[in-house]
Amino acid sequence: MSAALKDLIRNPTIAELDLVARFASLKADPRRERLFEAFAQTGLPGRRVEGWRWTDFKAAVTSIDAPKNPPARDPLARDGVAVLRFTPGGYTPPASLPAGLRFLAKDDVQAMGGAEEAPLGALAAALSGGRTPGTLLVDVSAGAPVHLHMVFEGPGSINAARVVFLVRPGAELHVSESHLGGAALSAALIEFTLNKDARLFRTVYQIGGAGEAQAITALIEQDAGAESVQTVLALGAKVARIETRLVHRETASKATLNAAYLAGGGLHADITTHVRHGAPSCVTRQLTKGAVLDGGRGVFQGKFHVPRTSGQQTDASMQHNALLLEEGAEVFAKPELEILADDVQCAHGNTSGALDAAQLFYLRQRGIPLTQARAMLTEAFIAQALESSGDLVEALRAEAQAWLNHAA
Amino acid sequence: MLKIENLTATVGEGAGAKTIITGLSLAVPAGEVHAIMGPNGAGKSTLSYVLTGREGYAVTGGTATLDGADILALEPEARAAAGLFLSFQYPVEIPGVPVMTFVRTAMNAQRKARGEAEISAPDFIKKSREIAKVLSLDPEMLKRPVNVGFSGGEKKRLEIYQMMMLEPRFMVLDETDSGLDIDALRTVAEGVNALRSPSRGMLVITHYQRLLDYIKPDKVHVLAKGRIIKTGGPELAHRLEAEGYDGVQAEAV
Repeated sequence: MSAALKDLIRNPTIAELDLVARFASLKADPRRERLFEAFAQTGLPGRRVEGWRWTDFKAAVTSIDAPKNPPARDPLARDGVAVLRFTPGGYTPPASLPAGLRFLAKDDVQAMGGAEEAPLGALAAALSGGRTPGTLLVDVSAGAPVHLHMVFEGPGSINAARVVFLVRPGAELHVSESHLGGAALSAALIEFTLNKDARLFRTVYQIGGAGEAQAITALIEQDAGAESVQTVLALGAKVARIETRLVHRETASKATLNAAYLAGGGLHADITTHVRHGAPSCVTRQLTKGAVLDGGRGVFQGKFHVPRTSGQQTDASMQHNALLLEEGAEVFAKPELEILADDVQCAHGNTSGALDAAQLFYLRQRGIPLTQARAMLTEAFIAQALESSGDLVEALRAEAQAWLNHAA
Repeated sequence: MLKIENLTATVGEGAGAKTIITGLSLAVPAGEVHAIMGPNGAGKSTLSYVLTGREGYAVTGGTATLDGADILALEPEARAAAGLFLSFQYPVEIPGVPVMTFVRTAMNAQRKARGEAEISAPDFIKKSREIAKVLSLDPEMLKRPVNVGFSGGEKKRLEIYQMMMLEPRFMVLDETDSGLDIDALRTVAEGVNALRSPSRGMLVITHYQRLLDYIKPDKVHVLAKGRIIKTGGPELAHRLEAEGYDGVQAEAV
């Protein structure tokens, strides 16, 4: 390793030195270098970095060894839907592609907008490739709705993945993602450009072991009349962050950003979103629900940025509600509305608390045991945040139920 | 059937705990319906919560048994499985849990606790339909979340629906008449009366005599300051209505 590379990160940890070595082993590419430099500005982000105070990758990722646990089962796997798989060795495209979908494997690395704001997204982009270098571009053309399922899983030490979607005017993409862990560090960067009147339905399931770190970063840019509906179910890991950065860049674009997180003891689930209303008359609806057990930690950070001129007639709402199911559960929330335009409708709400004692007693008086009563009420509490996942709502609910019954 | 002896109980915790039940004794034999009447603050609702095991209500003395078995040591769900049912004065809303799902879960949990087989879906739906008809409940209501957006009268009728579905052995009705108009009262009473049987007992807590025109009690007890101060036949309820609690209370002291 050259001295220059070593110096990229100030006071690097052992894990960060591992990442530098990994970067050095990949084919030289000026864009890859720029992406790694963007990551290197913070290194693994931790509590000293803005936006990472409660989600400390630097402390959590002490070394990048092969993980002890195999990847989890995939509850979103289903027949008849093409599967794109990302493992530490690279990606495996579907055996056959559905109509309307085109894969373009680029030899060189593609640039990434705002890499400095998303250090772990930049890391994913810098290290993605492995056996299959470059960037995977997916082109979605208009016609019947296109369905694709993506799986991100180990085993291996680092699973870095990147995929870039271009959804053409009027096209409709339904993409499901299962982030199943099995690597010491999983970093995925998924980019979507939605052209005029394009539609995106994205459903994300995340699960990880108590020794694993996962960072899932999505960048979404929407043109006029485009619509995205995102639904996340996060079960956490040693440290897990699901970050979505969305830009309404033309008028009348619409976004729904829903998420539910369930964090058990020793696990951490972070839902972070950043929405920029960069054009007038755009709509954002956000609902995040969480439930946390003793020793678990939930994090919600939501930001709406509404610029003075471009953000007029913005209609946006943000809601976060968390349940602390046991003593020793932690929830950190930072809802943020930065509104510079004057003709807007923006609302937000943020609550956290315990299950309602009167409701619990009512269920128990009817004969439902305490543990089951707790699970029922918690499921009902988070259910609304999963409803936007369409056909996958039952699969997500079943996972949430299994978690709740296990937790209780 | 239900036997309460010299019961004392407090509400609240630590230094703030207040003794509300102050040596209450009462016996309801199988097949009988007893009414408990009393002024505000007498401890009527507290008694219902102490019997069903609500958190925050602590028994400090005395006993309560159902068919000879101590119920006070049991968790609330075990008391329910043993056949104890409370029709709440203020039924709570459970957003996100449809009525049918809730009642079926409760029924199967009770059956499981008693070592019985679960009810099949068709049997459950058939039973539910029949009971909804008796209570003039809109079947659509049973698909909605428990009590969410229901009127006061609908909530009370839903309590009786649950009671008829679960077929408890001993029922405590806490001010079931409050919030009901006269037609709803008649419908609810019909449901309650349908459950009267030689093997069941019932404790009807009420403020007013009106309900007892429809659910005829075998005995009426007057509760004041946490204990029973007078017991009589149905005529006692009429006397209370005419003379108020003050007269009866003064007489008992």
